[in-house]
Amino acid sequence: MFNNSPKIKTRKLDWPLIYGLIGLCLIGFFTILSAVSGTKEMTSIMRTHIIALPIAVAAFVFGWLFNYQIYAEHYKKLYVFVIFLLVAVLAFGIVARGSHSWFRFGGFSFQPAELCRIALIVITAAFLAGRPRQIKNFKTLAIFSAFILPVFGLIMMQPDFSSIVVTAPALLILLFVAGVNVYYFVLIIAFGLMAGIFPIIWTYISLYPEILDNSIILSWVNSLSFDIIPCMIFSGVLVGLFVLAWFVLRYFRVLVPFSLTMVLAFSMVAGFFSGYFVNKHIKSYQRKRVEAFLAPSADPKGASYNVLQAQIAMGSGGVLGKGLFSGTQSRLGFVPERHTDFILAILGEENGLLGTLLVLSLYILILWRIIIIARNSSDLFGYLLCAGIFAIFFVYMAFNFGMLIGIVPVAGIPLPFISYGGSNLVSSMWALGLVEGVYFRRLSLI
Amino acid sequence: MFMFVLALLCGALIAYKLIFIQFISHQKYTSQAEKNRTQILYQTAPRGQILASGGEVLASNQAAFSLYYLPPFEMPDEKTLTEIADAVSKNTFKSQKDILQIINKSLKNGKAALLVDNLAPKNIFALAELQNFYPGLYLLEETKRYYPFGASAAHLLGYIGTMEKNTWKELSGELDYRLNSKIGKSGIEKRYEKELKGRDGGLFLEVNYKGRVTQIIKDNRWRKGADVYTTLLAPVQQAAEDAVRTSLTGRGAAVVLDVKTGAVLALASLPDWDPNIFTPYNTGKNNEDKIKISEYNLAVQGLFPPASTFKTITALAAYENGYLDLKHEDNCTGHIYLNGREFKCWKNHGPHIDFIKGMEQSCDTYFYNLGLKMGSYNIEKMQRKFHFGRKTGIDLPGEKSGNIYGPTKRANLKTYWFGGDTLNLSIGQGELLLTPIQMAVYAAALASKGKIWKPYYIEKVVSPSGKILEEGKSELVDQVKLKDGAFEIIHKALKSVVDNATGRGAKIKDIAVYGKTGTAQNPHGDDHGWFLAFAGEEDGEPEIAVSVLIQFGKGGGAQAAPAARKIIKAYFDLKHSKEEGNKNVQ
Repeated sequence: MFNNSPKIKTRKLDWPLIYGLIGLCLIGFFTILSAVSGTKEMTSIMRTHIIALPIAVAAFVFGWLFNYQIYAEHYKKLYVFVIFLLVAVLAFGIVARGSHSWFRFGGFSFQPAELCRIALIVITAAFLAGRPRQIKNFKTLAIFSAFILPVFGLIMMQPDFSSIVVTAPALLILLFVAGVNVYYFVLIIAFGLMAGIFPIIWTYISLYPEILDNSIILSWVNSLSFDIIPCMIFSGVLVGLFVLAWFVLRYFRVLVPFSLTMVLAFSMVAGFFSGYFVNKHIKSYQRKRVEAFLAPSADPKGASYNVLQAQIAMGSGGVLGKGLFSGTQSRLGFVPERHTDFILAILGEENGLLGTLLVLSLYILILWRIIIIARNSSDLFGYLLCAGIFAIFFVYMAFNFGMLIGIVPVAGIPLPFISYGGSNLVSSMWALGLVEGVYFRRLSLI
Repeated sequence: MFMFVLALLCGALIAYKLIFIQFISHQKYTSQAEKNRTQILYQTAPRGQILASGGEVLASNQAAFSLYYLPPFEMPDEKTLTEIADAVSKNTFKSQKDILQIINKSLKNGKAALLVDNLAPKNIFALAELQNFYPGLYLLEETKRYYPFGASAAHLLGYIGTMEKNTWKELSGELDYRLNSKIGKSGIEKRYEKELKGRDGGLFLEVNYKGRVTQIIKDNRWRKGADVYTTLLAPVQQAAEDAVRTSLTGRGAAVVLDVKTGAVLALASLPDWDPNIFTPYNTGKNNEDKIKISEYNLAVQGLFPPASTFKTITALAAYENGYLDLKHEDNCTGHIYLNGREFKCWKNHGPHIDFIKGMEQSCDTYFYNLGLKMGSYNIEKMQRKFHFGRKTGIDLPGEKSGNIYGPTKRANLKTYWFGGDTLNLSIGQGELLLTPIQMAVYAAALASKGKIWKPYYIEKVVSPSGKILEEGKSELVDQVKLKDGAFEIIHKALKSVVDNATGRGAKIKDIAVYGKTGTAQNPHGDDHGWFLAFAGEEDGEPEIAVSVLIQFGKGGGAQAAPAARKIIKAYFDLKHSKEEGNKNVQ
């Protein structure tokens, strides 16, 4: 007689997310079309894109309908599959643009690393969801490192630097959201800082050697880059400083376990040496990118050329843009990688600030919906899965936009749904399908 | 939710930077984008033409091509550059090294660079092919100066050449000169440089990152320079040059003036040069600096004693002062003695030399006596009346004024004037010097009964839109007033000279030619031959005045008079054929 039961929303799809997705795909389609129009590759690129779109929709539907909770039990098989794919691509893959990261079937190529980015999120989320009480334990982090490092190792062997750049921060965010001990974060960040900051300082010094004049400290820092003895002294001093700090803190009755202090000190030393190692073995084009980031105007025709031309494209587009197919920077080839990593520059040139802000807003919309879905998920795995996918799209957005506006070095990171790239499109759609799957099953009890 | 706030903050930062780039810095980036895609090539405007009064084009333009290199944004590799340089070098005579150097400079500053200019149309096919094959090469059609008549009127037309750096600094402010612009270096080309130059065009090309031209954004057409119409009659000019060239030495000058206006109908001065040698098609060798030409314009810069032509002045002075008795006859024994010194006549003319005979035979004895009778000062005064020793004012550089010979100057210098000086003066030898143009002005004055014209050779300067920028006008400097009959006597005598005696070489059937020969003594070599003449229709007024000087031509009668004849004949042939043509039209 009385229907007092609260009305439960039973929609199977989160439509705002779908709208955002469709919006991005439409913008992406036309921008790619404009970016490649007039080039020799136009037909092949558009054909591939048009074929990739239904496959991506299928991947989305698969992610949505296939119960994500199954991954929670079988994530180890997924892990083995990932390892298998990465080994296979090294063994049977083809080399394109200096990187051993493509499978080729008939007329199509597939980049397994793209799929692995999402799969790693799924695996990590499943792993963490399976150890709800031990998340804060060091052992969890150790196991996580143990299975993640081989994957990274295989990816580095291709080498596919950009996959690491996208996946590593996304995984860190996922760990943080899952509640991994903050101390470990301090460790990782200290390690990362030490590994990153010194190569950057050394590169900077090599760009502007005149700053070495009259600066004993900088000269000494510079000597660290090539001489092992100052490195040892530096490490010793670092550890010594931590010991000193521990004593000082104890004097002020701030009790910190000595072991933790030492682990932090050694992780920093390890970070420093990783940086030292990276600095010695970094590829010259990668160093050029760092240089371009540090000094964009030093060599406008060299490495920073891409970013500068992309910014010229966007800036010349103004608020309303020059109109689709009318961008000169695009049409005349001044913006390189214009249908992939730098596609936003084309959008910015032809559709102006309105176009770029629209894409940004749609991304924010999608991120917001993922958060909402995560908070409504019926289990921890769903929550962590959404968090991980949120993280990876967040990283994509931050890095791709950041690269164009000059706050992040160029790392070859595409913007999903806008950039051309079948593998990326399919795996990104699968990821959002997974999110919709979490939404679909938000009310289920199992 | 924390993560979402982080994402929002990140989004806000991105949005801020996007607004900064796309809204605030929009102008800056727009200009950079324009700079990226645009290469500007300057297109030299065709110079205005120089025409003779009959419409014959004395200086025009020919198609010439320039090959440019448009630097690509994407740095090409060494191999491609070498290939381009090799290919261009093979087809343009320019060394591969030079081309590579230009290309590298262009790559460095990102601006289009001229690889080779002045390419002949026959080279273009191969280069057009290269242009299709290698992005970055671009052929631009321009023009180069061409003088259809070759050396004709070279001293008046002048020539053009690459300007010197200093000149560029001076000129770049007012007109759109570039460092490789060619400018007029002498003659009309220099005098009317501003008018002839026109305004260079600019081609705004859209180029892609490879430097290949995709379209022409804007074509600021050049504006052709103004045309300069001269008063020259091309056939007469050519006849004048031929006449001097085919004379004994081929050196000398001839000036033809219109008696009624003072317009220069022909002005020849040899040696001359072919101005085309300064504007050849590119053959790899740049000879411009090595070319040696004689810019010495004999017609206005060459000074010679007027010799026997001066006897007309002596005669006029005598008549004016009442010393000329037409009936008086002299006995020429080949020489006279003055104060114990012998003064020779060039020939023993025998007895019965009256005025007409004296003039016909150019008998020195007759004029010695005339000079002695009236005194030197009267002759000096007559020179002044006819503006001897003064520049004619023709608009040509370096005109010499010559000088006046007479007792006044000696008095000023406080030296003596001897009787022998009077004798020398009477027959036009000694210190008196005249230029051929002065002689022509004097001839015109005799012909027109005292009108001293300022000679001019520019009829008008007409801009491409038809506006007359400048008009040459007839300018009467002075009107010599003499006693009645003075000019008639001279006319009679000079006609007789041509008809019967020393000037026979200039005689033309049905044309009244008046003339006087002269042989200027030259202590350094062979004598110079003069001929002063004017001519008209048999029963009409004199129309043209001619002066001819054959350098080292030995005698006026033998060399200069036949030359004058050719010139006068050319004038009347032209005139008659025109009248003929007009009749036919009617």
